[in-house]
Amino acid sequence: MPVKIMIPGSLRNWFGGETEYSCQGERILDCIDRLDERFPGTKERLINQKGNISNVLIFLNGDNLRNLDGLSTTVKDGDEISIVPLAAGG
Amino acid sequence: MIQDNPESKFIIIFHPDIFIGKKYTVRSGLEMTNGEVLKYWGKWIVLGEKSWLDELAIKLDPFVEDEKIPVIKYDREPSVNLGIEECVMMIYCDRRDRDKIWQILSRFGVKLKAWVTEKETMEMWLPGGVLLERWIESKKFNEVTKNKVREDAQARLGYIFEHPDEIFVPWEQ
Repeated sequence: MPVKIMIPGSLRNWFGGETEYSCQGERILDCIDRLDERFPGTKERLINQKGNISNVLIFLNGDNLRNLDGLSTTVKDGDEISIVPLAAGG
Repeated sequence: MIQDNPESKFIIIFHPDIFIGKKYTVRSGLEMTNGEVLKYWGKWIVLGEKSWLDELAIKLDPFVEDEKIPVIKYDREPSVNLGIEECVMMIYCDRRDRDKIWQILSRFGVKLKAWVTEKETMEMWLPGGVLLERWIESKKFNEVTKNKVREDAQARLGYIFEHPDEIFVPWEQ
């Protein structure tokens, strides 16, 4: 079973109008790479030049990646990744 | 009850006993301290069209009245100046209760699962924090006003970090 990525309407335009996307990967970063292959430009929207998450908050099964292992956090089948605009966290 | 005051940025759902002194940052009958709020308090984030959040608010109100959910607030309109096209609803609770509350939310069709701690939010709104600095830029304040805004944020939010043993006092919204 693949990892599911949930995207709010606010970011839908970045992902070809989709609000759910499934992918395979060992780490969150792998999933973002898959997203970038499908929707070019995704990676640079989500990750800055220093390799840090920017503009968005990313959650694995509800937990902010900042409180896990960041982009190196490992994922397993059935996990859910949610991506929300940074300002939504305020 | 749902308080929809047009002068407020937020529509707020709270227990009516708030008017007679009931607090919502309470655990085992004791009001939480600033330190406990920083450690445990947070919210589930829900994004959506205002009309959908209005419907969700009506469904969630009974759970607030039943004291299963402490308090909820949501945007009257999207914070476009901060780059969001949808309204945001925040369902506040103690981290130790969040899974029970997630069960309620998922029952009503919430799919996007995002838990943000109050500590993380406050850090983003302290001077130098990404949201405060973006908000200041979006308002195009002059330097004097920018510094005043930062001083006010430091005074209000910094106090919570600097006084962990004091009882937490929510601010008016």
